[in-house]
Amino acid sequence: MDEPDERFRVLVRRLADMSERDYYNPYRLFEWPRELDGDAYWMSPDLMVETETAAGAGLSEQQLRALSKWSSVNFYSLNVHGIRELLVEMVNRIHRPGFEVPSEYFHHVIGEENEHMWFFATFCRKYGGKIYPDRSVPFPGPADPAIADFLVFARLLIFEELVDYFNSRMALDERLPETIRRLNAVHHQDESRHIAFGRRIVALLHEGLRAGSSAEQLHEVGEYLRRYMRTSVAGLCLPDVYLDAGIDEPYAFRRSVLADPGFEAFAERVLHRTTTFLVSSGIVSDERIATS
Amino acid sequence: MSSLADQRMKPLIDFLAQRTATGEPPAADLDLIENRILDSLAVVEFLLLIEECSGRPASLTAVSAEDLRTLRSIERSFFG
Repeated sequence: MDEPDERFRVLVRRLADMSERDYYNPYRLFEWPRELDGDAYWMSPDLMVETETAAGAGLSEQQLRALSKWSSVNFYSLNVHGIRELLVEMVNRIHRPGFEVPSEYFHHVIGEENEHMWFFATFCRKYGGKIYPDRSVPFPGPADPAIADFLVFARLLIFEELVDYFNSRMALDERLPETIRRLNAVHHQDESRHIAFGRRIVALLHEGLRAGSSAEQLHEVGEYLRRYMRTSVAGLCLPDVYLDAGIDEPYAFRRSVLADPGFEAFAERVLHRTTTFLVSSGIVSDERIATS
Repeated sequence: MSSLADQRMKPLIDFLAQRTATGEPPAADLDLIENRILDSLAVVEFLLLIEECSGRPASLTAVSAEDLRTLRSIERSFFG
């Protein structure tokens, strides 16, 4: 990381103060009823991409409610896996040369994210009986450490902003059980700090990249992030979920959802705030999500 | 051209062919990772396709990049 600016120092100090001031004990915060209302929506229908596609239009109300239950379990499973990646990558960088300024705040983020992972995993196991599997496979990363650092924090930011779009809306959706609304509200509160931090560190790391990379490398990095955004939204559509929801031909159903123009429109809507930031920061050149 | 016998792998070969520079199917022993035909983002879709074609869920805890390195290693790991 290049020499961080004074604005960044002030920001991390302020965020660390806020984390200390707002600290809560997650292990005592939530009430976990024995079961949740099985007839209620567990995920807002307008946050289920399937409802915006031709394939989803053919589902009965009963199938839609079952889909909302298992989509909810998948959403929190994705959170568990995304947080694990965040923790691993942040722990790998804490107290490493170049990360002196954010190190103090990394401690807060690591602590808070560990607690988020706990309450999301608790939800999945308690009400879904499982955490859906993570299909990512470790591949060799970029050889250039500056590109590797940038991509790690850019991916984490995209993940947090995507999740926050859902959290901020589900926290207020009265069709959902109280436990689900509360989970989303608490996560939204913490994530607003993490996103403020993420945007600044991503912008700073990209400034460093611009100084030392070719136009071709920068373009490649931007295109990778456009593909990453599409892949992240596609992660909400899982054959395992469709199978649990009683939908026939779950793999074919998923293909129909992903090929539907409604999928592109949904992905662009839920990531609009993120793509606007990435374009205005000169990180990607196109606000549209990659098509494949 | 691939010389793999298992017909269940055809959709996988078609998927990979769309990602080669020429649009041709990769050879059975071509390194898919080194040649950037498969990367960390494409692999999730590819694993789902493997599951669908093989008719059984990939054993996710055991999948490594090595299992996916060539069409031949994919056949051995998931269709053996």
